[in-house]
Amino acid sequence: MPSLKSLPIAGQRQKVWRGLDEHAAAPALSRELGPEAPPDDATSRRSVLQLLGASAALATLGGCLKPPDEKILPYTRQPPEVTPGNPLHYATATTIDGRATGLLVTANEGRPTKIEGNPDHPSSRGAVGPLEQAELLRLYDPQRLKVVQNRGQDRSWRDFLQAAAARARAVRDARGEGLRFLMEPGSSPLIAHLRQRLTDLYPRARFSSWSAIPLQQVHDGAQLAYGGAYETRLDLSRARVVLSLDSDLLAALPGTLSAMGDWAAKRDPEQGPMARLYAVESNLTVTGMNADHRLRLKPTDVHRFGLALLGRLAAQVPALARYAPLQQRFRLPAESAKFADAVAKDLVKAAGGSLVCVGARQPPVLHAVAHAINTALVSACAAVARPVLHETDAGPRSLRQLSEEMRAGRVGTLVITAWNPVYGAPADLNFGKALSQVPFSVYRSLYLDETAERAGWVLPALHPLESWGDARAHDGTVTFVQPLISPLYAGVSEAETLAAFLGEGDRTAYTQLRELWQSQRPGEFALNWEKWLADGFISGTATRPESPAVRHEQILAAAMQVPASESAPGLEINIVPDYRVWDGRFGNISWLQELPDPVTKVTWENAALIAPNTAKKLGLSQGERVDLGLRGPPAHAPVVLAPGHAEDCVTVSLGYGRRGAGEALCRDLGFDTSTLRHSDHPWFAPGLTVTRVGGRALIAQTQEHHSMEGRLIAASTTVAKLKETGEELAEHRGSLLTAYPGDSYAGYRWGMAIDLSRCTGCSSCMIACVAENNIPMVGKEQVAKSREMHWLRVDRYFTGDDTGNPGVVFQPLMCVHCEYAPCEYVCPVNATVHSDEGLNEMVYNRCVGTRYCSNNCPYKVRRFNFFSYTSDYTDTEKMAFNPDVTVRARGVMEKCTYCVQRIERARIHTRLQDRRIRDGEVLTACQQACPAEAIVFGDLNDSNAKVRKLHEAERRYDLLHELGTRPRTAYLARVMNPNPELA
Amino acid sequence: MSSLFKPSSNTAFRIALFALALLFGGGLIAGPMIYVRTPFYTQQQDPVDQPVQFDHRHHVGDEGIDCRYCHYLVEKSPAAGVPPTSLCLNCHEQIWNKSPKLAPVRESYFADRPIVWNKVNKLPHFVYFNHSIHVKQGVGCVTCHGRVDEMAQVEKAQPLTMGWCLECHRQPERYLRPRDQVTSMTYKPKSDQLAIGRELKEQYHVETRTSCTTCHR
Repeated sequence: MPSLKSLPIAGQRQKVWRGLDEHAAAPALSRELGPEAPPDDATSRRSVLQLLGASAALATLGGCLKPPDEKILPYTRQPPEVTPGNPLHYATATTIDGRATGLLVTANEGRPTKIEGNPDHPSSRGAVGPLEQAELLRLYDPQRLKVVQNRGQDRSWRDFLQAAAARARAVRDARGEGLRFLMEPGSSPLIAHLRQRLTDLYPRARFSSWSAIPLQQVHDGAQLAYGGAYETRLDLSRARVVLSLDSDLLAALPGTLSAMGDWAAKRDPEQGPMARLYAVESNLTVTGMNADHRLRLKPTDVHRFGLALLGRLAAQVPALARYAPLQQRFRLPAESAKFADAVAKDLVKAAGGSLVCVGARQPPVLHAVAHAINTALVSACAAVARPVLHETDAGPRSLRQLSEEMRAGRVGTLVITAWNPVYGAPADLNFGKALSQVPFSVYRSLYLDETAERAGWVLPALHPLESWGDARAHDGTVTFVQPLISPLYAGVSEAETLAAFLGEGDRTAYTQLRELWQSQRPGEFALNWEKWLADGFISGTATRPESPAVRHEQILAAAMQVPASESAPGLEINIVPDYRVWDGRFGNISWLQELPDPVTKVTWENAALIAPNTAKKLGLSQGERVDLGLRGPPAHAPVVLAPGHAEDCVTVSLGYGRRGAGEALCRDLGFDTSTLRHSDHPWFAPGLTVTRVGGRALIAQTQEHHSMEGRLIAASTTVAKLKETGEELAEHRGSLLTAYPGDSYAGYRWGMAIDLSRCTGCSSCMIACVAENNIPMVGKEQVAKSREMHWLRVDRYFTGDDTGNPGVVFQPLMCVHCEYAPCEYVCPVNATVHSDEGLNEMVYNRCVGTRYCSNNCPYKVRRFNFFSYTSDYTDTEKMAFNPDVTVRARGVMEKCTYCVQRIERARIHTRLQDRRIRDGEVLTACQQACPAEAIVFGDLNDSNAKVRKLHEAERRYDLLHELGTRPRTAYLARVMNPNPELA
Repeated sequence: MSSLFKPSSNTAFRIALFALALLFGGGLIAGPMIYVRTPFYTQQQDPVDQPVQFDHRHHVGDEGIDCRYCHYLVEKSPAAGVPPTSLCLNCHEQIWNKSPKLAPVRESYFADRPIVWNKVNKLPHFVYFNHSIHVKQGVGCVTCHGRVDEMAQVEKAQPLTMGWCLECHRQPERYLRPRDQVTSMTYKPKSDQLAIGRELKEQYHVETRTSCTTCHR
C-alpha cells in the first residue's frame, strides 16, 4: 500500500510518475522477478492489521499528549527596516529574453513570498503576467543546480576561477582567438560595459545571442523598412482599429503588459468609443479569442494576406499608391478578400487610430509592410524606437554561424549564458554535438539541463530574486534587479561569469553595478542611487521614439519577390511559443505546468492542435497518438481538437519533451518540437506528414465541455445592441422574492465585479491566486480526474454554430460569495458559514470532508483536498508559502476567500489609525495581477466605491440569478464591436 | 422454585448494558474534550525553562521597565516580539556585563547566533492573532499574560482556548481598560468594570468580531 502522504505533489519529488498505478507498482516486483513474484512475507495480513490497529491507537493517543514545543529565534541585531510580522515590499525586475518587467516583491522576514507588478514602473505600470509571477516557485525549487560542476564532478567557484584564469591567459596571448560568448539576449548596461571591456582585452573574441524565440525577424523587417534596427512601441490608448497579424498582443506575455491595460480601456463602452480588433492567425490565440473578427489562414498565407491588404490600401491612401501592383499580384480567396476589403476600409477610416501589429514569427517583409501602413496612416498607436537589446540577431542565423565554427574546431573557449541552446536549437544545427567538441566550455544555468550535460564547466545561476543587476524594460527604461534573499545555493550572476574572464572573478555583481552607475552618472549618483533602487528604475530613461523615413522602394521590391500563389496543398506545421513554459525555460515550475493553457485548457504537456474538420478529414480524434514528421525523425504527439484552428495545419508549442537530468518535474512531459524546427523555417513550414500510430493518450484538460447549454453564463453582446442587452440583463440582477428577512450588513459589505469586456483570458489572475493562497498543485493524473485545486479558474466557451471559426467568451470564476449560499445549508458540521460582512467563510478545522457543499454549489468553485498535497514539501519549498494563509490538510474543502487575509490586514492597519478602509486599499490577489483591470473588489456600502459603480452598471448581471443565491460577485457583460460590413 | 431472576430483570439488564455502553461511548467523546481543556493539557501554570534565566520579577517588578521597552513591536506588529539580543546589551553592556548568567546573551551577540527561546504562549498555526490591534483597543497585557511581574519563570496564565478568546470577543467590556493602563501590572478599575468597559468600547470603537475569518484564514 503506498503511503497516502506521498501521493502526487507536483514539482516536489525527484521521481516523476504519471499515475497512481505506476506509483503503486513497487520497483522490486518488476520484470526481473518474473510475473509470479513471490509475495513479500514480511507483510502478511496479520501484520497489516497489527500496524493498522497500532497506528489508529497512536493517532488517538497522539492528540491526548501535550502540544508540541515551539521555539522563538529573535534576531541578534534586528535590521532597522524589518518588523517581524509585517511584510516588506521591494522593487526589482525579472528579464525574459533580455527585457525587464518591473516587479514589486513581498518579503516576509527576509523570504520573498509574492511577486507583483511594480505599479510605478513606466513600462508595465503594475501589470504582471503568469510567467513573471511564477518565478517565485523557481527560486525555491529544490531541483536547482546547487554547486559548480566540471564534467559531473562537484567543484568550487574558486576552482572555476583558477581554471578560467589559466584559460584566459592562454587566450589573451592569442588576442582572444577562439573565444566565443553565447549570451542570453540582453539589454543590461552592466553587461554591455563588461562586453566592451572583454572586447578591449580580447579583440578577436566574438559575442552572439541565442533565444529560441528571437526578435530577429522583427529587426530584419525594420532593417528593410528603415535601413536600421527599430522596434515598435505600442500605445493602444489611442487605438480605434487594430489588425493583429499573428501577434499575440493581449496574452500577458513578455512585452504586451502595458498594451493590455490600454486595450482593456478601449473595450469598455462606458469609457468612450470602443476600438475594434481584427485578427488573422493560424492557431487560436488569446488575442484571436478577443477579436471582433477573426480570419483563419494557413501559417504561410498570413504574410500574403498582409501584402494583399497593402495592395488594397494603395488604392485608398495616396501615400501608399506605389503598392498598387500588389493587389494584382496577391489574389485572395473570396473569404479572405472580403475580410481584407473590410479591414482596409476600416483602417483608412480610423486613420490616426489604426494599427497593424505583426507577430515576431512572421517574415521580415510583413513587418516592413506594417511599418509602411502605420506610417502612411499616421498611426498614433505605433512609434518606432531603437531596440533595447545588445544584439538584434539572436536567432538560428547567428547560431548556425557559431556551430559551424565550433564544428570546424575554431572555437577553443565557449562561454554560454543563453538559456539551454542544446535543447532549443533547431535540430539541423546539431548544436549539442558541436558543443561536445569545444575543449573549454562554460555554461551558466539554474538547472542541470540538456546543455549542462554537454558543457565542461557548469555554473549554477543565481535566481533574479537573489541577484544584483540591471536591464532595460521594453520601453528602454533602465530597471534595477536587486536581491530579496541571499543566494540559497552557490550561484553566480551573468556579470560575475563574464568578470571571471577579466580576472575579476572576486568582484561581486553589486560592486560592479554600483561602480558602473557611479561612473555613468557621477553627478547624481550619490543623491539618487538609493532612490533608483527603491523605485526599481531610473525615470526618464525610456528610449525616444524616432521617425525614420520608410524606404518604400525596398519594401515594394521585397514584396514583389514573395511568391504570388497560395501555399501548396498539404499539411503545414505551425510552431508557437507556449503560454505556460515559453520556450521551455519555465518547465520546472509546477504552477505553470498546471496552469491550463488559456486557449486549449490543456495542462502538463503540449499537444498537436488540429482543427475539427481537418481531423475528420485525416480520420483523427481527440487524444489519438500521431507521429508528426518533417524532414527528419518524427515527433510523437497526442491530438487535441482545437475549434478555431486553421484547416490543413497542425500547431505545436515549444518547450516540452525535456530530457535534462536535473529537471525531474518537466522531464518527459509532452514532446520535443526541435525535430520539426529547422533553422531556415523556425516557425512554420509546409510538407508535414501526420501518421496514426495507434493508441490514445490521457490528456488532462480542465475544461472539456465548451457549451453554456443555452443558459446565461458568460454574457456577450455587441455595441449596437447594448441598450437592449441592458434591458434583458435587468432580469438577471436585483432581488428576488423571498420570505426571509434580508441581512443588513451595516459595516463593510464586500463585493466584486468582473468586467468580461476587459478580461482577455490571459490567466495571470490564476497564478496570482495560487501564489497568494498556498494552493497546491496536484499533477496531471489528478487534473484528469477534475481534482485540480485552483480556486480561480477561467472558463472558456465557444459560441456560434461554426465549429471551424467559433466565437469565444471567457469568464474568470471563483467563489461568488452568495448571500444565500447553497453550500452553507447543507454542511452538517457548520464548516462553511457566513460572516457579518457577507463573506462565505470556510472553516478548515471543522470540515470533515463530506463534500455536500461542493455538490450543492451551483458554480462548482469548491475544491477538495483528496490527498495531502503539501506534506512532503522540503523546508526550502515551504518558504514559498504565504504565512497569512493556512496550509490545508487532506480531507478538507477549500475555496476562494476574497483574500480575507488582505481584508483583515487592511482592517487592522486602518483601525490602528482610527479610520475606515478606503476604496482601493484592499486589492485581492487576482485584482492586483490583472493587466486589464477586469477585476474590481471593494465595499458595496461605500457609494463612491468603484465596485459599487460597477454593480449599478447597465451591463451588470448575476450568474445563475434565478437560483436566488444573490452572489456578491457581479459580472459585466462582454461587449463586442463587430464591423457591420462583415456581419 | 421460582427463578432467581424475574423475567423483567432481563429488561433491566439490557437497559443497564445500554446505559453502560452509552456512558462509555459518551465518555470516549467527552473525555478527550474535557481533557484538552484541563490546565494539564493547556500547560497553564507550567513554568517553561529558558536558555537564559531571565527574571521578569526583577526587570518588571523591581526595575519597573515598561513591557514595551523589550516587546517593542507590540503596537505595530502581529507579534509582540521577543527582543533582539542587541537590546539586552543596551543595559547589560554596562551592568552585570561579567555575570556568568548572561554568558549565553553575550555569546549570542558576538557569535551573531540567535538565542533559542522556548515559546510559552503557543497558538495553533491556523490562528492569526494580532497584538497591535488588541493593545490599541485597550486589552491589558495582564489580561492574557497574567502577572508577569510575579513570575520567576514565565508561564502561561490563561488557557488560550477558543472559548476563552470568545469570552472577550463577545463581551469586550468585561476586560477593556484605558489605553494608558494597558501595560500596567496593577491596574484596578476605579468603579464598576462593566460601566467603564462600556464607555471605553464606545470611545475606542471596539467591534465585537466573532466571524471565523477574524482569526482563522
